[in-house]
Amino acid sequence: MRAKIETKKYILTFVITAMVFFGALLASNRFAERRLSEVKSIEDKISLDLLSSETQFALLKESSCKAIDHSTAFSEELNSLTQKLSYMEDNLGGENPEVLSLKKYYSLLQIKDSLLVKQVNEKCGVKPITIIYFYSNKGDCDECKREGYVLTKLREEYPELRIYSFDYNLDLSAVKTLKSIYGVKNTLPALIIWDENYYGFKSATDIEKIVPQLKRLREAREKAAQTKTATSTKK
Amino acid sequence: MIEAFFNGILYVFLFVTLYLEVFFLITFFEERGNLTEKSKNKKLSYYPSTTIIVPCWNEEKTVAGTIHSLLRLNYPKNKLNIFIVDDGSTDNTWEVIQKFANNPQITLIKKENGGKHTAVNLGIKESNSELIGCLDADSFVEKDALLEIARAFNEDKLMMAATPMLVVHEPQTMLQKMQKTEYHTGAFLKRMLSPLDAINVTPGPFSIFRKEVYEKIGLYKKAHNTEDMEFALRMQAHHMRIRNVHTAQVHTKTPDTLYKLYRQRLRWAYGTMKNTLDYRFMIFRREYGILGMITLPLSFFGVFIFLYNFGFIAFHSIQRLLEKAIQISTTGFSFAIPQFDSFFFNTDFMALLSYVFLGLGLFIIWNGVRLAEGRFRPTTGIFYFIVLYGIVAPLWFTRAVWNVLFSKGTNWR
Repeated sequence: MRAKIETKKYILTFVITAMVFFGALLASNRFAERRLSEVKSIEDKISLDLLSSETQFALLKESSCKAIDHSTAFSEELNSLTQKLSYMEDNLGGENPEVLSLKKYYSLLQIKDSLLVKQVNEKCGVKPITIIYFYSNKGDCDECKREGYVLTKLREEYPELRIYSFDYNLDLSAVKTLKSIYGVKNTLPALIIWDENYYGFKSATDIEKIVPQLKRLREAREKAAQTKTATSTKK
Repeated sequence: MIEAFFNGILYVFLFVTLYLEVFFLITFFEERGNLTEKSKNKKLSYYPSTTIIVPCWNEEKTVAGTIHSLLRLNYPKNKLNIFIVDDGSTDNTWEVIQKFANNPQITLIKKENGGKHTAVNLGIKESNSELIGCLDADSFVEKDALLEIARAFNEDKLMMAATPMLVVHEPQTMLQKMQKTEYHTGAFLKRMLSPLDAINVTPGPFSIFRKEVYEKIGLYKKAHNTEDMEFALRMQAHHMRIRNVHTAQVHTKTPDTLYKLYRQRLRWAYGTMKNTLDYRFMIFRREYGILGMITLPLSFFGVFIFLYNFGFIAFHSIQRLLEKAIQISTTGFSFAIPQFDSFFFNTDFMALLSYVFLGLGLFIIWNGVRLAEGRFRPTTGIFYFIVLYGIVAPLWFTRAVWNVLFSKGTNWR
C-alpha cells in the first residue's frame, strides 16, 4: 500500500512557501524604503547646513573672511551621499520615481553649494578646485563608468577637491540651465574644470595635469606625514 | 524587457525550489520521532537467509576489503552466503579472491565480461535465499548493517527492498571531503523520501531485496549504465515498497579527482534523466504518489532548474568581476580595507531569498550529519560543499543534458 498524497500537506507547504517568498519581497521593499528615507534625511541635513552657511555668509558679508567657514558641511557628506544614491540607482533602477526625485534634490543641492562656494571664494580671493562632471547612464556613454571610478578615487585622495556630478539627461531645469551656461555638448563624459570643458575619458593623471595644485596638495600632505613620522620616531 | 522575462522564469524556479525544501522540512518534522539511532538489541527473533553478491571487474585493490567487511557482519554464518562474481576482470581480481575459496560462506564465480548487471543477475539465479543484495567491490559494510536491514524486513512484511545509508569511505582530497557532505545531505533527503514511498534508486552498495521481487518483476536489465535506478523505478511501477534503513551504514569509495568525479556523475545524471524518461508514464500521476508528483519531476526538471539558477548566478558574478577588473585597471588596486556600512548590506529580494536557501541548506546538512554520525560537527567538507558543489556540478549536468538531447550514451569508466 503506497503512502497516500496528503492534499493538506501540499497546501500547507504552498502557504509556507508563499509566505516566505512574498515575505522576502515585502522585506526587501521595506529595506529599500528605509534606505531611501536615509538618503532623504542626509539630503535634508545638507539642505539645512547649506541654508545655515548662506545665512552665515549673509550675516558676515561685511566682515572679515576669517569669520566665514570656507568649507560648507556639504562636502563632508558628499562622498557617502553620492555612493548611497548611486547604490540605490543600481538597485531600484534610474527610472524609479523616488530615486529620480532624490537625484533631482541632490543636483539642486550641488548647484546651490557650488554657487555658495563661488561667492565665498570670490569675496575671500581663494580659487577653489572644483570639477563639474556630466555623465549619462542610459547606455550611451561607455566611458562614464570608468570616469566615475577616477573621480571617486580623486575625491578620496583629495578631500579639498569639490566634485559636482550631474546626470546629463536629468529632466531638471536647473541642470539644463547649468548645461547651457557652460555650453556642454552631448559628448560624454564631460568635465568642466575652471570654466573649461573637457570631453571624453580623463584619467587621474590627465586631471592632475590640468590641475597642478592637486600634485602640490599631495606633496604637502606627504611632507607633513614624513615630519610627523620623524617626530614620533625621535620620541 | 528581456531581463524581466528571464527574472520571471528565475522567480518561478526559485519558488519551486523553495516549495520542495519546505516540503522536506515538513516531512522532517513529521518523521523526527522515527529517526532513532541503532537498536541496542543485537538479536533478532528471526534471521532471514541472505545472499550478498559482489560483482567485480578489475577490483584487485579493494575486493578483499569488501569481502572481509562482509565476513565481519554481525549475522549468523549459516544464514549468510557471499557470491563473488568476477565479471571477466583483466587484472588479478580472480587470483586475489582465491584466498577465500575454502570459506564455506563464500562462492566464487567467474564469467565473461557482460556488465555489472549480468554479474548480479547470475548471482541472483544461483541464490535460494529469502533476501538477496549486492555490494559493490569498492564498498564496505558496517558490522550491524545487515542486522538492521533484516530487522526492518521482519518489522514490515510489505517492505520489498531496503536501501542503506551511504557514507564516504576515508575522504582524503578536497573533492572527497565535499562528497562526504553531499552524501550526508543525500542520506537525509533519502530518509525523508522513504516514508513517502518516493525512493527512485536502490544503490549498488548494499541494497537488499526480497527474493520474490525478482520472481515478480524479473532481473536487472541494461539501463543507461544506471541499472539500480531502473530496477527501483520498475519496483515503484509495480507499487512495491522500498524503504531506507538509515541505521545500516555502508562506506563507499568516492572519486578522488575531478575527472573521475565528472565521469561518475555524468553517468548518474544521464542515467537518472534517461530512466525517468523511460518511466515517464508515472510522472504527475496521483496513483504513484509523491514519487510521481515530486521525485520523478525533480529528477528530470531539477537538472534544468539547477542549470538555469547557476547560469543566472554565474552571469551576475562574471558581470561583477568584469566591473571590478575595469575599476582596478582604471584606478589601480586599492589596499584600503572597505569600511562596513549597513547601508550597503545587500537586502534586495534575490539576496534575501539566497539567505533563506542558505539557512535551509545548512539545516539539511546539519541533520544529514547528525543522521550519519549521531551528532553535528563542523568540518571542512561542509565548507567545500557549499563553495565548490555549485561550481563543479554544472560540468556534468550540462554534459548530461547535452547527451540526453543528442542521445549520446555514457561509459562506466
